[in-house]
Amino acid sequence: MNEYVLKTNDLSKKYQNKMALNKVNLSIKKGTIYGFIGQNGAGKSTLIRLITGLANPTSGTFELFEKTDGQALIEARKRIGTIIEGPALYPHMTAHENLEAHRLLKGIPGKDCVDKTLALVGLQNTGKKKAKNFSLGMKQRLGLAIALLGDPEFLILDEPINGLDPMGVVEIRELLKKLNQAYGITILISSHILSELHLLATHYGIIHDGELLEQLSATELNEKCQQYLHIKVDNPNKAATIIESQLSTNDFEVMPDGSIKLFAHVNTPGLVSKTLTKEELVIEQFMPMGEDLEAYFSNRIGGVGHE
Amino acid sequence: MSNLIKTEWFKLRKDRSFRVLSWMLITAAVLYPLLEFGNASLPTVEDYYLNNVLGIHSDIVKLIPSILAGFFITSEYSMGTMKSIASSGKNRIQIYFAKLTMFAVGAIFISIILPIFMTGASAIFFGFTDMPDIAFYLQTVGIIMLYAAAFASIMAIFATIFTDSGKTIGFLLLFFLLVDWPLQVLASKVPFFEPIVNHSIFKLVYDIVRFNELDHSEVITLVTVPILTFLLSGILGSLIFRNKEIK
Repeated sequence: MNEYVLKTNDLSKKYQNKMALNKVNLSIKKGTIYGFIGQNGAGKSTLIRLITGLANPTSGTFELFEKTDGQALIEARKRIGTIIEGPALYPHMTAHENLEAHRLLKGIPGKDCVDKTLALVGLQNTGKKKAKNFSLGMKQRLGLAIALLGDPEFLILDEPINGLDPMGVVEIRELLKKLNQAYGITILISSHILSELHLLATHYGIIHDGELLEQLSATELNEKCQQYLHIKVDNPNKAATIIESQLSTNDFEVMPDGSIKLFAHVNTPGLVSKTLTKEELVIEQFMPMGEDLEAYFSNRIGGVGHE
Repeated sequence: MSNLIKTEWFKLRKDRSFRVLSWMLITAAVLYPLLEFGNASLPTVEDYYLNNVLGIHSDIVKLIPSILAGFFITSEYSMGTMKSIASSGKNRIQIYFAKLTMFAVGAIFISIILPIFMTGASAIFFGFTDMPDIAFYLQTVGIIMLYAAAFASIMAIFATIFTDSGKTIGFLLLFFLLVDWPLQVLASKVPFFEPIVNHSIFKLVYDIVRFNELDHSEVITLVTVPILTFLLSGILGSLIFRNKEIK
């Protein structure tokens, strides 16, 4: 049995003269939560649109549940639930009616699933309120409910927590974790809120200018998010010399503001501070620090500003 | 396919524009015959059906469903719901034909409101004597339904090409209001097009009122052309939709 729900092979998409996706080789293992990171226009939505059949690749192929083309691929899409570029709702219908329309579309027998799914996302008490009168957060929840209808094995969620209030974000995060852990649903989630993604994803893919820069697991990311000691002293040049000579390392950087990033001796900060004070340096700041996902992402795409 | 048909039927019943257009037409159909009370004498129901109901049906068949096309078909793109339909694991050709079928049902319903309600109201207001011949009545209503479906299939193509409801409605209204004139010019200037134009639904729709005067071959043409138009436009539209990138 294939361990991947999705694999792309040199998948490319060209719009006029721009390569929206350039030979992307991405793989998503069954049972993972894949955080898809990239700026606006990086190619996240393009990839999602190719997988879901909204657009055709210019070149390359992909396997969805091992199906690559034709009717088999179309059938494979019955096993996915999607939110693509925002929740797709009928504004003049209630939450219940929106789900009923999708229940009929998916051919799910029995109407019980509609109420159950609404309860799952906390929209069971919306009554006759039309979707157009919902808050952005409620619309996101309804979009998620639609995606969850029919017990999909693979959820593709493009910005599912946009517009949610802090409690809503926590609830959706917990719900997605539960769906992943209790039911084994594989999730591909793209989000601008990287700190939130960091709390959820088990794997990451970083895309920039249509190219997949890196795929890594959460464990690998944590290892790569370098920890360091942030040191600020009255004489940084002297401190640098002391670190090199007495602490026997050159794994550090002197920053333009005079502070020092010491990547070695992270686990022995006492030794570092003792060495510096012994040489009569005045320590103004001394703290362990490390890159988070946002900083790592920013560095990975070349240090430019990110969303 | 049945799931798609059920879904589209559900959406058509919930479609606000469909409800509003239907109620507006029903109201107009019931009230319009009252205008006759301002005249010196009341017409017979038969004359009223021939002159008033069938007289304006071609405009109803061509124009009112254009508005429905914008809301029922194109709005699926602007609302983003077409994305979830297209990614739901259904064949695009089937998606298109399910949509077209239910849109045609809506167009047919709209197109028979006048023949049913206006004739019914005129019978109540003018009296049940001199009713239209039942065979003629049923035949013309049946043919109006065929033409409604045929025009709907052409509207569906444009409603699929556009992704904005307003553009679809504006374009279709202008197109169906103005198309007769360039087609007539084309037929008169280019002999090749003359038989095509004369055997198109754009021309034949005006022959429904003359149904009793048509010979057998003309009746066959009147019936088969809208069916062929529906099928060919459906195939063309489905091919366009199959290759369309949904944004």
